[in-house]
Amino acid sequence: MIESKRHRRMIANIATYVVLVSLSVFCIGPMVWMFLTSLKYEADIVTQTMQYMPSRITFDNYVAIWTQSGFPLLIGNSLVVTLLTVTICVVTGTLAAYAFSRFAFRGRDRLMLGYLVVRMFPAVMVIIPLYVVMRGVGLVDSRFGLALAYTSFLLPLFVWMLKGFFDSAPRELENAARIDGSTRLGAMVRIVVPLARNGLVASSVFIAIAAWNEFLFALMLTTGQGSRTWPVGLQLMVGEFQLPWGVLAAGGILSIIPVIVLFAIVQRTMVQGLTAGAVKG
Amino acid sequence: MATLSIKDVRKSYGSVQVLHGVDIELEDGGFLVLLGPSGCGKSTLLNMIAGLDDTSGGDILIGGRSVVDLAPKDRNIAMVFQSYALYPTMSVARNIGFGLEMRGVDADKRKGAVEDAARLLQISHLLDRRPANLSGGQRQRVAMGRAIVRDPELFLFDEPLSNLDAKLRVEMRTEIKRLHERLGTSIVYVTHDQIEAMTLGTKVAVMKGGYIQQLADPRTVYERPANMFVASFIGSPAMNFLPGQLVREAGGVRFEASGVSIAMPARKPAEISERPVILGMRPEELKVAARDQASVTGVIDVVEPTGPETMVTVQVGDRSVIARVPPRFAGQRNETIFFTVDPASINLFDPDTEQRIDI
Repeated sequence: MIESKRHRRMIANIATYVVLVSLSVFCIGPMVWMFLTSLKYEADIVTQTMQYMPSRITFDNYVAIWTQSGFPLLIGNSLVVTLLTVTICVVTGTLAAYAFSRFAFRGRDRLMLGYLVVRMFPAVMVIIPLYVVMRGVGLVDSRFGLALAYTSFLLPLFVWMLKGFFDSAPRELENAARIDGSTRLGAMVRIVVPLARNGLVASSVFIAIAAWNEFLFALMLTTGQGSRTWPVGLQLMVGEFQLPWGVLAAGGILSIIPVIVLFAIVQRTMVQGLTAGAVKG
Repeated sequence: MATLSIKDVRKSYGSVQVLHGVDIELEDGGFLVLLGPSGCGKSTLLNMIAGLDDTSGGDILIGGRSVVDLAPKDRNIAMVFQSYALYPTMSVARNIGFGLEMRGVDADKRKGAVEDAARLLQISHLLDRRPANLSGGQRQRVAMGRAIVRDPELFLFDEPLSNLDAKLRVEMRTEIKRLHERLGTSIVYVTHDQIEAMTLGTKVAVMKGGYIQQLADPRTVYERPANMFVASFIGSPAMNFLPGQLVREAGGVRFEASGVSIAMPARKPAEISERPVILGMRPEELKVAARDQASVTGVIDVVEPTGPETMVTVQVGDRSVIARVPPRFAGQRNETIFFTVDPASINLFDPDTEQRIDI
């Protein structure tokens, strides 16, 4: 009886691990494959028989993409656009989320719902009117314009996330601060924002990653080298007759490094923030 | 120190009115307790005094100065919250000194004031800690320290003891009373605990449904409640109510009900009409007596010794009455028991309006 119970539990464990391992391979596999490809000579990439581990290692692909294409500029543009997006979202989104969390005003719930509904439309639907508007105000092919476009769909998400964190910060604390001599804004900055710090970091990283990786808007709204971001630049390296696999893989690896570094720095705070939001928000 | 005048203050949320024209005057150095069940509007009233909520009408004056248009920070008040509302990211010392910091008091002066307040509340050894590392009672003290350090005109307490365990609650209650006597600052104190109201207040406002039911000193509220709500809300066990008939007799009136017959002096017996009334008497006013002196006769139902006293539930007519008798009470279930009642301690209420009737 006990024997069979243990047996059954072992089978269940094995099944669990099989599922987990296959999912992990499915998720991590492409990245490992990309990394391995980036270390191969061009001749070793397209071969008759599949070569999993590179027989010779080279860093030529990295040198090539960094020196022979506009890749540093692409990364620079992506950095600027991401920073701008995060700054706009943090400044306006924090104030908006606070207002949504603390003030009861007419149409508040509908407005919040509207924010959600905006997220439900596919980006493709928004992109043509957005392009027309951007062209009208002369913001096509500018990094600021692209950041604004990102804000249009990331800000609602940011406000929603942050509102949850603000909701879970006790009102009595800011009431105490207001009686102690703060203005409403002062109480928000001094008391509520430090409390929601983890949530703020989590939400900011979330939109930073989304802005960093965004492709469609960047493709449509940038035309020249001056504002093009790395996902678009990388895609444009795919020629009609030529596919520089090694260089593309190296570019891919380089462009996820900032995300990994960012995540490594804020990971603890971010996970705390996300779980806090999940339970209380 | 300052007086507090609340004049015809009203509050509504949309079409729902939660406070109906409240009038309260608190003397300089007084201790006003707002007492009532949840949803009676007491916390709303406190928040309006603090400026955290807007009034929908009426005026609030602190020290003779109208404050309804002032921001909370400009009202010169300090507040202690139910959850203590200590700033979790700051040390205890900074928590206490935050109000002074906001008012631009320089660091040395601030440090001195914080240390004085901490000494008064015996929390000097906690100044470097974070609120998360304090016990409930310590947090409560820090919250009070934050209030007293600024030396405001008026203290506001919003159910400050309700998160503490029973023993600590009694200790802190004493502490608050001592603090009030020492500082002499006027206090408005919200609670739903009638013991806190009785022990602390110089004035108690019993509230229900957005109306003040009675505003008086604790003794009057206890002994001469304005209506049956106040009578039943204050006192534990609650006041006994017995419906019966008021009849005139020579030299006064008499209350008659099944098992009850009490003669009462009346100032003008001729003006009193014979009518149905509800008699209210506190459990401690029922004194066990001999049969020939009895004004209340009943049958013992339950005897509950609590240590310092014994509660006896007695069936009087078709009503249950609780008497608070001395600890070594020897009566048994189903025995007949007799009580006398001091007529002066008796309250009469109108059965329809539930308001007090004075005779």
